[in-house]
Amino acid sequence: MQDMPPAPSYKPQIAIVCIAVGALGLGLALPWVGVHGVDMDVLQSLRAPRVAAGACVGALLALSGLALQVLLRNPLADPYVLGTSSGAAVGGIVALLLGGLMWLGAALGALAAGALLMLLARGAISTRADDASSRLILTGAMLAAVLGAVSTLLLTLTPDNRLRGAIFWLIGDLSGAELNWPACLFALLFIAAYLRYARAIDRLMLGSEAAHLLGEPVALLRTALMVLACIATALAVGMAGSIGFVGLVVPQALRLAGVRGTQHLAWMSALGGAALLVLADTLARSVAWPLELPVGAVMSLIGAPIFIWFLARKHDAVGR
Amino acid sequence: MTAVLQVQDLQLKAAGRTLVQGLSFTVQPGERWCVIGRNAAGKSTLLRALAGLATGGASEQALRRTHAGQAHVAPIVYGARGTRRAYMPQSAQDRFDLTVREFIALQPSMALSAAQLQVRCAALGSALDIAPLLDRPITQLSGGERQRVGLAAVAAQEAPLWLLDEPVSFQDPAHQRMVAQWLRAQSYQASGLVPQVAMVMSAHDMTWVQSVATHLVAARADRRWVTGPIGDILDAQLLRDTFDCDWRRVGGVWMAA
Repeated sequence: MQDMPPAPSYKPQIAIVCIAVGALGLGLALPWVGVHGVDMDVLQSLRAPRVAAGACVGALLALSGLALQVLLRNPLADPYVLGTSSGAAVGGIVALLLGGLMWLGAALGALAAGALLMLLARGAISTRADDASSRLILTGAMLAAVLGAVSTLLLTLTPDNRLRGAIFWLIGDLSGAELNWPACLFALLFIAAYLRYARAIDRLMLGSEAAHLLGEPVALLRTALMVLACIATALAVGMAGSIGFVGLVVPQALRLAGVRGTQHLAWMSALGGAALLVLADTLARSVAWPLELPVGAVMSLIGAPIFIWFLARKHDAVGR
Repeated sequence: MTAVLQVQDLQLKAAGRTLVQGLSFTVQPGERWCVIGRNAAGKSTLLRALAGLATGGASEQALRRTHAGQAHVAPIVYGARGTRRAYMPQSAQDRFDLTVREFIALQPSMALSAAQLQVRCAALGSALDIAPLLDRPITQLSGGERQRVGLAAVAAQEAPLWLLDEPVSFQDPAHQRMVAQWLRAQSYQASGLVPQVAMVMSAHDMTWVQSVATHLVAARADRRWVTGPIGDILDAQLLRDTFDCDWRRVGGVWMAA
């Protein structure tokens, strides 16, 4: 019984690269199609940064989602499950009320929520015990509930003329986004960290105890993943508000497509997240032109049905 | 010969209840120790303690002190090479659907090349009857299949000490025998870089235990645990004290009456 090693499958990789290139190209090219009499320079100065910002936010959210899925040992975790988006909302609205920079307030709010969670659940993060995930999730959910209530209360204080903008921003909106170089560098750093510690993170997926017995510094790894995920989410939220769905669906879709190792999941998640958000944003500003739809809503509206279809197909293929 | 594992005056507690006090035994390379006892006697707790995992009792603190290197009592001492130990929990908690091959690839301390992994998987695949499963996700295996994959993972770690919590509880009779033969072979033969493997495992099936064990840790109901070579200590009295029921010998094998 001399089985040949199975030929490595590059299908998902190729598909991801194609989709990413296509999405970026479409995002950049679409404004030129059928638009006349508009100053090209204006389009270029508005469009290119927006596409780049969308790509960066998408990559950060997908990388953050991937980290939390490993950390919580739950393939259905997303960057907001631990209350970072609620923290961002509180920070953003406070900044709005005080007349400060909304994006800065949001980023700081997300970071503060992450730090608070790490303080409240530090035992559950830096542990080798396998039952810690539920403690961390529940603490995060409670934190999200409290911060969500605070942001709702703050919204009632917001003057009417600012309310519309605040709500749009909370849903997630790329219209005012600009490319943020530190955020891009951070995304690259995040990918590099994944690649460097890919095997250790793979082992963490087997469980904290298992990883510990295999010799991995579990507490350090878990804390590092948590910190990196919080910073990535804060940067993304600061740029474009709370755009849901990318962080959950991109790593999950890649897993369903058969990408299981961290080494490939990391860069493909970043690329996939970038592509998905740019695609959604292109649709959001093109479908009802000249009206612009919030990209967060468009994302969920298109993405969720596709994901359900994908799940159903996978289910049928497995035959159970 | 250097001992792989020395247990000295170990106390085990679980849920505030003392399971055993003053437990001492020494495991040499090539020995296969079976831990027997009734439900909740402390078999899993002992194996977790030996692996260095938290047990929720006094032993945990004792172990922490040992790890910090400031202990005056050292209940568990690993041999020279023996800091590395492979542990198989009673039930796997899989959340991500890695394939069996990917799962095995994560076990060795150094990453294997594709060719090395192929050789490893082929050998383990035929030895444990998991060859047809190698490219299946570990989340889609039956209980018995997953247990044999767990054994393959333990072997792939190439550790000198194996700690197996109920390695055959889900195996059919044919596979129970296969695993017993395989475990005997692993402790005799050179396995990779490790000349001889020592094992401590828990099991309920006394027929299986008698086919595998060289030594016993009998968790007697009165909390006075008995340890020693199986030929010296296994008799009707010990079995009655351990399991609280009568035993008779049929064809040289002890069976519950």
